Amino acid sequence: MFLNCKNLSFKYNKTNQYIFKNIYFEITDSGFHSLFGPSGAGKSTLAKIIAGEIIQSSGEINYCNIKKVIYTYNQEKIPGWYNIKDHYIKVIDESKLNELFKIVKDFGMLQCLKSRYEQLSLGQKNRANLIRYLFQDFDLMIMDESLANVDEKTRQEIIYIIKQRFPDKSFLYISHNLQEVAKFCKEIYVIRNIHVNPQIKMVKGLDLMENCNINQDMLDARLLEILNA
Amino acid sequence: MLKNRIFQFLLLYLFFLVFLFLIKNIFGLSDYIIPSLSNIWQRAQDIYLYYLFDTKETFIIAVIGHIVSIIMAVIVASIGRIKTIIGSFIKACAYNIQAYPIVALAPIIFILLGDGYISRLLIASMICYFPLLLTFIGIFTEPVEDIEHFFNTTNKNNFILETKIRAFENINKIKTVIEGSATLAVVGTIVAEFISSQEGIGHSISIALSQSDLSKVLIALFMIGIFTSIYLLFLEYTSYLLMKHLKY
Repeated sequence: MFLNCKNLSFKYNKTNQYIFKNIYFEITDSGFHSLFGPSGAGKSTLAKIIAGEIIQSSGEINYCNIKKVIYTYNQEKIPGWYNIKDHYIKVIDESKLNELFKIVKDFGMLQCLKSRYEQLSLGQKNRANLIRYLFQDFDLMIMDESLANVDEKTRQEIIYIIKQRFPDKSFLYISHNLQEVAKFCKEIYVIRNIHVNPQIKMVKGLDLMENCNINQDMLDARLLEILNA
Repeated sequence: MLKNRIFQFLLLYLFFLVFLFLIKNIFGLSDYIIPSLSNIWQRAQDIYLYYLFDTKETFIIAVIGHIVSIIMAVIVASIGRIKTIIGSFIKACAYNIQAYPIVALAPIIFILLGDGYISRLLIASMICYFPLLLTFIGIFTEPVEDIEHFFNTTNKNNFILETKIRAFENINKIKTVIEGSATLAVVGTIVAEFISSQEGIGHSISIALSQSDLSKVLIALFMIGIFTSIYLLFLEYTSYLLMKHLKY
């Protein structure tokens, strides 16, 4: 067991409406997992609760072998007085810089290093943000639409790189892209309507690695399972 | 830029003169109340050097007062944003005191400190200080979540970085309030001189008023307008260079 949430409920202050009630789920292994569900289902809220950024109304979260949870989202910005390279040098440990520049190249961001954040496109901004998080200390990283506005091919390459370079770490990827989630994630936690019990259902993904062939029938079956969840 | 600013002022000044002469003609007022153009021109030739000197002195005080108030506002707002009793106290004080008309305190300042530079400087600073302080407190207490989140999550945040982020992200607000408060600093100095000082263009206006000499007042207004335009232009150009350096 890696992370375990028991009877977790959450409602915003001064409202009586629960976002989720008595949910139970556990992440049992490291790897690339996903939190999936329609807009407004409470994915980001649950992610923030897991990261300790907001407090649940009731219930408990048990962390096993997880010391540091990082939550990152797609609208984060880098201070505008630095260019991207200077910012990385400031916030990333010197010993990791060589590895960092390899990742920067693999993420297709090499030409952006001398630019300031405001000069980047939306997709480049998201990649620049994600890179700096990857080089922080963490055991579980929650990526809340961190690859939004990045084209499909690059997104796929980035996911492969993350899975390959950080095999011991755990990722919880929030995305609305059903295909992507089904193809690349190990476990997909689908958040369902509050009136459905259990509110979170786990569906196994294909967890594809680079150069693996896709079994179309299996993919279709997983897509269907997620859609029906 | 300079041409534009000065031109705008001259245009306004001209409209004002036309307005005055219209009133003079409509109501048949005498030269004693609203002097003729030739009178004004004659007076200007007599006194422009004195008034130039007085205006220069007023502006030296206004500029120093403005700088002092910016520094004070930054320091106090930085302390005020700390979530401690002192921080809350400073914040509450700032909001309450700013509601009080500072000019009303001017006589007390003159009684205690005399009518020299310090009193004028203090009044000029105080008049432009509160808008600056409230803006800086507002900026420094409002987190820029999208930037600060990374530094908070990775425990890399600190007081200076946080202040820098908030100031940088609100640089346009800061620029606007600094430019806006410059006029207030000039107003404060002139009012202080008008009330009690023995120097500066405010004092000259006060004498002209006691002599009911509108020519002198119009010449003083002209000088003040030209100096204010130049000062505002200097501020605009400085902020333009700063923005250029910071943004790209």
